[in-house]
Amino acid sequence: MVGLDEILRRHRVIICAGSGGVGKTTTAASVAARAALSGKRTIVMTIDPAKRLADALGVRALGNIGAAVTVDAVPGGKLSAMMLDQKGAWDEMVERHAPSPEIRDRILQNTFYRHLSESFAGSQEYMAIEQLCELHASGLYDVIVVDTPPTRHALDFLEAPQRLADFLDRKVVKWFVKPYFSAGWATMRFVNRTVGFLFRRLEDATGISALVEVSEFFTAMSGLFEGFEPRVHRVYELLRSQETAFVLVAAPDEPVLAEAEYFCRQVHDLDMQLRAVVFNRVHRELSGKGAQPADIRELMQRVVGDTGLAKRMAENFDRYEALGRGDGLRMEAFRRQLRKDVRVVEVPNFNTDVHNLEGLQAMHAYLFATAPGLPSDAAPR
Amino acid sequence: MKSVRDALFDRRLLIVVGKGGVGKTTMACALGLLAAQVGKRTLLVEVDGAGRAAYLLGVQPGEIGKARPARESLSVMSLDGSAALAEYLEMVVPVKRVLQAVFSSRIYQYFVAAAPGLKELMTIGKIWYEAERIDETTGERSWDVVVVDAPATGHSMQYLGMPHAAHEVFRSGLVGRESQRLIDLLTDPERTAVNLVTTAEEMPVNETLEMYQRVREELHMPLGWLFVNRTHQTSFDEAELERVQQRLAKSHDARERAITEEVLKRAREEAGWTVINRTYLARLAREVDMPTVEVPFSFAEEFGAEQVRAIASAIEPAILGSARRGKRHGRS
Repeated sequence: MVGLDEILRRHRVIICAGSGGVGKTTTAASVAARAALSGKRTIVMTIDPAKRLADALGVRALGNIGAAVTVDAVPGGKLSAMMLDQKGAWDEMVERHAPSPEIRDRILQNTFYRHLSESFAGSQEYMAIEQLCELHASGLYDVIVVDTPPTRHALDFLEAPQRLADFLDRKVVKWFVKPYFSAGWATMRFVNRTVGFLFRRLEDATGISALVEVSEFFTAMSGLFEGFEPRVHRVYELLRSQETAFVLVAAPDEPVLAEAEYFCRQVHDLDMQLRAVVFNRVHRELSGKGAQPADIRELMQRVVGDTGLAKRMAENFDRYEALGRGDGLRMEAFRRQLRKDVRVVEVPNFNTDVHNLEGLQAMHAYLFATAPGLPSDAAPR
Repeated sequence: MKSVRDALFDRRLLIVVGKGGVGKTTMACALGLLAAQVGKRTLLVEVDGAGRAAYLLGVQPGEIGKARPARESLSVMSLDGSAALAEYLEMVVPVKRVLQAVFSSRIYQYFVAAAPGLKELMTIGKIWYEAERIDETTGERSWDVVVVDAPATGHSMQYLGMPHAAHEVFRSGLVGRESQRLIDLLTDPERTAVNLVTTAEEMPVNETLEMYQRVREELHMPLGWLFVNRTHQTSFDEAELERVQQRLAKSHDARERAITEEVLKRAREEAGWTVINRTYLARLAREVDMPTVEVPFSFAEEFGAEQVRAIASAIEPAILGSARRGKRHGRS
């Protein structure tokens, strides 16, 4: 077994992480297609596929958000896909967890909530993880592949549940709720000078009516997430279990790799298992058979006949060789600080969009093969 | 007031947005270099970055929230919301002891980590502060131009939309009033321009089109230039590559054939990218009404300060053709 096959054999939950724009969505879809084609009941949770890929998976149709659809292109109905709604994640959470329609409406209509819900930290990430837990518990799938939301930093996805738990921490919520409703903000001023000073500032800054809105919001929210801590705890348990494998998707350019390096360290610190790294959009040096640029130019002249064309082709070749050298050096440096049991695969920089099953299968040749140049002592057993 | 096409650097605030990984920081740096080149005192602000902007300008990153000179007339600053909030509190709360108590409390830390929109608002506030800042010793503005390297598209919308949200929520308070001042700056075509960066590929173009709509219709912000980064421009036509393929078949030298195959492969790769890029450039031209500049793909082994300077030179005729004319009429 080579490449990522070992991971599909050993793990039920595969989480594709990485910073934005590196090809996570396509990688996740391709891995899922592989599992399904090998006969496993598979689902891919995807976030924002390119339109044609979404069409191919059949997840773009209206009303499909949050619901699993069978991907017709894969025989036997083994592959399902689910697209998560990026925008309405908080509304969805409120809908789902509100103990009564009254409380739900109170929150959804709150001015503070309506204008700021888009910037509440981590709702999308949390929803993705909660959805994952549900799919996992349902027992309907042998393999679940998760494409993580486009976060500023790859790590945001992992930290979101905890941040949300902190945000909804009862002690913190109480701080917002209690003063106004039990005694009024005004009396808080006399508790001590620091608090008093802060409250005066806060009132100046926000205006009393806004403070009332904020308080009301937190009052409504505080009942909403009863039992939130244990749920977050379960989420982390699943993410840390042997069933789950993280696959880091990265492009071989410098800012992406710096971010990826940080991600690798943090994943281990969080006791989660990074099992593989996929280098995507990779340029590799061709051999040139050891020929010098001048030789190549001369040789092309001979074969092509046309001087102008020979020159253009040789120059173009040189430019791509430079890219290949750079990518090779950066990947090598990155790989040196990876643990030995982390698999590394490379996908070349295709100049076609991947938008159907054939395209996803074309990626298999790379995802499920050992990367060229992988030193044999680094090959996992 | 001259159009952005003719006088981009007459604006005080140039915001650079785009999808993750398309080269926003690079374009922001290139704009910073050009602004400085025509003598504008320029500050490049990198929002939520890891000091990449400083690296691309060839200097070590400085302390968060502090301007670091990179070359004549150009400084660079990294910014994050928590630091901006702390700086703001230091300005409004003069008592050190009170501040220490605030900063060290757990509530404050949770609050800053999770309060919706707070970091975004403080970041925009700090950018506004720098854009309007007056140097106490000279009585002049500290900066003629502030270039902002914004976070990836989705997050940019959160940042740029935050003053509107805060204004709606906190109408009567200080935050509401201050937010109005931020909105005034952000929506003023004489002071601000939002520049979009994309590559000519499917996903980035989709996101750019969406951003283009939202900047105009939701944020009501004035648009600047559209930068189409990493465009492949060396075209080989199919017929000539086919001819090479045929001649190759006649060659009996194994080494010659192997090398030619590789060279041909790269030519096909380049031709393929050129076709893709042209398709999406055409789509952008149809759907986006902004002055547009194509930035050539940089084939460097390593991407650094030298490549950024090359990109600045490549876009200079488009961007500065006009700013130069503007300069002759005298700098503000």
